[in-house]
Amino acid sequence: MTSTEAIVLAKLPRSRRRHPIVVWASIALLAIVTVLAIFGNLIAPDATAQSILDSLLPPGSPGHLLGTDELGRDVLALTIAGAASALVGPVCVALGSMLLGILLGTVSGYLRGPVDFIIGRWTDLLFSLPLLLAAIVVAGIFGAGYWMTVLLLILLFSPSDIRIVRAGVMEQAARPFVEAAQMLSLSKARIMFTQVLPNVWSLIITNSMLNVAFALVAFSSLSFLGVGVAPGTADWGRQLTDGRAIMIDNPAAILVPALLIIGVASAANLVGDWLGQNLTRTGRS
Amino acid sequence: MTHAHVEVAGLTIEGPAGVVVAPFDFAIGRGETLALIGESGSGKTLSAKAIAGLLPSGFSARGSIALTTATIELPATDAIWRATRGRRISLLLQDPFTSLSPVHRCGTQIAMTIDAASDRRLSRSECADLVTQRLAEVNLPSDVARAYPHELSGGMRQRVAIAAALATDPELLIADEPTTALDASNQGEILDLLRRLQQARGMAALLISHDLGMVRGRAEHVLVMRHGEIVERGDTSSVLTAPSHPYTRALIEADPSLTDRSAAVERAASDASMLNDLVVATHVTKSFGDKAVLHGVSVAVGRGETVGIVGESGSGKTTIARCIAGLERESSGEIVFDGVVLAPGRASRTPKQMQIVFQDPYSSLNPMISVGRSLKLALRVAGRPASDLNSLLRLVELPVEFAVKRPAELSGGQRQRVAIARALAVQPQLLICDESVSALDVSVQKQILDLLAKLRVDLGLSILFISHDLAVVRQLADRVYVLRNGEVVESGDCHDVLNAPTHPYTQTLVAASIHEAPTH
Amino acid sequence: MLVVRVLGTIGILLVLSIIVFSMLHLAPGDIVKNLLGNRPSSPDAVAAIRAQYHLDQPLYMQYLIWLGNTLTGDFGQSIRLQDSVANVIGARLGITAALSGLSFLIALVVAIPLGVMSAVRSGSWIDRFATGFGIVGLSAPTFAVGLLLLYVFAFYVPIFPVYGAGDGGLDTLWHLVLPAITLALGLGAIILKLTRTAMLRELESDYVTFGRARGLPDRQVHLIALRNAAIPIVTGASLVLTFLVGGTVLAETTFALPGLGTLLQGSVLFKDIAVVQALTLLVAVTIATIALLADLAYIFLDPRIRAREGSQ
Repeated sequence: MTSTEAIVLAKLPRSRRRHPIVVWASIALLAIVTVLAIFGNLIAPDATAQSILDSLLPPGSPGHLLGTDELGRDVLALTIAGAASALVGPVCVALGSMLLGILLGTVSGYLRGPVDFIIGRWTDLLFSLPLLLAAIVVAGIFGAGYWMTVLLLILLFSPSDIRIVRAGVMEQAARPFVEAAQMLSLSKARIMFTQVLPNVWSLIITNSMLNVAFALVAFSSLSFLGVGVAPGTADWGRQLTDGRAIMIDNPAAILVPALLIIGVASAANLVGDWLGQNLTRTGRS
Repeated sequence: MTHAHVEVAGLTIEGPAGVVVAPFDFAIGRGETLALIGESGSGKTLSAKAIAGLLPSGFSARGSIALTTATIELPATDAIWRATRGRRISLLLQDPFTSLSPVHRCGTQIAMTIDAASDRRLSRSECADLVTQRLAEVNLPSDVARAYPHELSGGMRQRVAIAAALATDPELLIADEPTTALDASNQGEILDLLRRLQQARGMAALLISHDLGMVRGRAEHVLVMRHGEIVERGDTSSVLTAPSHPYTRALIEADPSLTDRSAAVERAASDASMLNDLVVATHVTKSFGDKAVLHGVSVAVGRGETVGIVGESGSGKTTIARCIAGLERESSGEIVFDGVVLAPGRASRTPKQMQIVFQDPYSSLNPMISVGRSLKLALRVAGRPASDLNSLLRLVELPVEFAVKRPAELSGGQRQRVAIARALAVQPQLLICDESVSALDVSVQKQILDLLAKLRVDLGLSILFISHDLAVVRQLADRVYVLRNGEVVESGDCHDVLNAPTHPYTQTLVAASIHEAPTH
Repeated sequence: MLVVRVLGTIGILLVLSIIVFSMLHLAPGDIVKNLLGNRPSSPDAVAAIRAQYHLDQPLYMQYLIWLGNTLTGDFGQSIRLQDSVANVIGARLGITAALSGLSFLIALVVAIPLGVMSAVRSGSWIDRFATGFGIVGLSAPTFAVGLLLLYVFAFYVPIFPVYGAGDGGLDTLWHLVLPAITLALGLGAIILKLTRTAMLRELESDYVTFGRARGLPDRQVHLIALRNAAIPIVTGASLVLTFLVGGTVLAETTFALPGLGTLLQGSVLFKDIAVVQALTLLVAVTIATIALLADLAYIFLDPRIRAREGSQ
């Protein structure tokens, strides 16, 4: 890992007590959005129902707390339904990228040699691509749907996980307790997964939380540009594209989803930073 | 001391968890040095930082510092410290490798200090002349000014740092372990240079060190600090010859000129010499890339024998041990264990042949795994029942309740006992100790050495003991090899080699460890 | 070392060019239809396309011909805009360059002093503000910020124009202010985080303590630390650039600026493959070049590496 990446990915060198209230508020926001993502269709069953009669109502209209868009869809219901699209994809991306990171990163960092070289060049290549641009081009040209986009983003996010796990494993593998395990003639796989990996978990979990934040940004950016999500789907990024034209008649149609995207991504980022500071302190002696 | 130059009264330091340094006073006369001695964690470095106004956040100091030109009441404001640091009090740090900015030339760093202390703006050529003059004071040529720190050796860097620290002509220089990061051969020179400069300027100096022997002849007075309290104070010579506190005595006992092996070890040694060799390494070479670390090293350990390998950092002593353990692959040479030739690497070795105890107790145990689980894993590898755990803990004199603890809950000495227990769980024939006590405090060091001495007698272990510390090797080893730059320069009976070294390098090492007074 | 670095860059660019080339063949649907776009698929037109793209040749020949053309500046035709790709890109390059430059300047001027201050006064209100700003800046998607600004400045503080690129000169610059601020938020957050982390690390180092211990003024000590921190900050340039590329597309789309970003978005949606290929390569070359320059700066800034390079 180059020194720059180390710095961007690094947890801050000194323990800084972030205001716990902000952390709790972030966790609460994430919890609410998670509940909406899971039970959203029970709360707002008719999210994409159109009603020409009710089109373009301003916020505060009877029956439509946040008003409606130009197709007559209820903005509140759309926003609630959009939580699923906003959360499921990013969480899947973070988990998939974590899995790739653990597998390839551990192998690369512990075995070194030619395997490490090949994996290293592969991550170099992926890292040299601007993530969003690559996603736009590939998803756009190949007309990828939601789940293809998830796979694509897993691929594009994985280099950071691979490098973090690799660096963590290499740091741990040089420690005497790993050599002590070698002195007991334990197998490489056993040392890797029972001795080394438990010490790298805190790094992995932290980075995955940050990945959720950045995947949400990437997803909503793609749907804002009109790739990745089919038109008509309830999705916050999509709502912003559609809502741009009706900003004057119903500002809530863009303000609410925009603030939600910013809020949820910031919350995930903040919780990730906080986890990083606290987990790494307990994980090391 | 007739008129004190510096008087510190009631210096107290509080940390987040309460008082860390209890109130103490001291005075230093003009042109005199006071030595503050203590082990890591004793509070000596915090005291130094408190006097320089550089305590880390979370710590605060009380008391007063009286200098000839000003008196500072602690805690003082930033403005007072800005006027004090440099011109009145200067602090020299331990590690010359990190205390200079790597991207600025040495001359610039000295010039900045001259500039900061000067009342008027200096012209470029004036400044350059002053830098040359300051460098000359520390016996460095003027072209060092154009060099970056990484181009200089450790000793030269510390000279540059001294020049920078003294460029403001302070009344008091605090030197915090100024030679600990340097090799033995450099240490005396730097300390003598400091002593000479301090006497020539009539400056007061506070010398902070963990090494009592080091200050012999280099300080007028000594304070010994332990756990934040002064346990002994007095003239250097009287403290060294007639210490009153048991802790000071323990520190002096660690001095190789005064101690020798324990009787138990002596007894075992007489049996050992008759037995044949357990491990013989012949003409072992090892290179890392282009850099050759071992140039044909041959060492042997007999059954039941304890063999010491001594040398400075970079001598290759750890590398030869790791080659024998199979953790490094030797480039050439032969390692024979119990009559069988071992191929390079771990694959040819079994756990029961040998185990190793590493230097750093903080990283030699897996932080995520409890003591009991670590030890049970080792027992299982040896085919021993998990019920042997308690006897194993008793063997290293730890209570059986320790099985459920995590390494983070243990002290350094306790961890090292666990590491020894893990090594002994598989009942190895050879125990390799790679600087196993160097990271421990003197008092704990002694306990671990006693434990090793007892174990070798009780279990009939062969021990290969690697250390840079002659005092430690002397206490344990039957035979000793002296390594320098990847070659054995001298070997033989431990007693003979260390009492009457024949090779000049061994003579320097022994001399440096006895800390002879500098000759003027 | 430097030679290896340059060769590595060329290698990555070659691999990328193969991927970009294959886009044409991997895109769903018939190649000829994709290349014809909306034009009528008369036999003549089809034949012309086949000849132009050498579709009768083996694949590796097609690649070599394409690569040759690309290297000589012939990127083909845009089917959407009915013009040569070079012209299409040339017409829009200026606005994107101006937008990137302006936002980079804003980010730099705000983020570096803020990062230094927040590291020096770690834990103070200014540090808390900077950290909060950094988190939101890193997390907020460019388009979401853009739309919020657009809403505020369109209705409540109508001092900046909110749509389009104006009609050249100062007017265009005026039109670029809001998009540049939008983009600068994310850029600034990255630079802020780099600066703050690097400064915190340097401020804890021994040479800073030693500097203070021998009475250097605070300002000078901070300058020494910043000079050391410059190394990781400058090498962060490639990260900043990666963000800038994605961010430009979003900012231009949000504010309807006729730059390369909107060109890319439009071309992707229209499957105007020649334009997408050219833009992707252009970005790849730009990023590789800047990353290389950042590495050179690294050598220039760090005398230890300079010495190692010089001795080889």
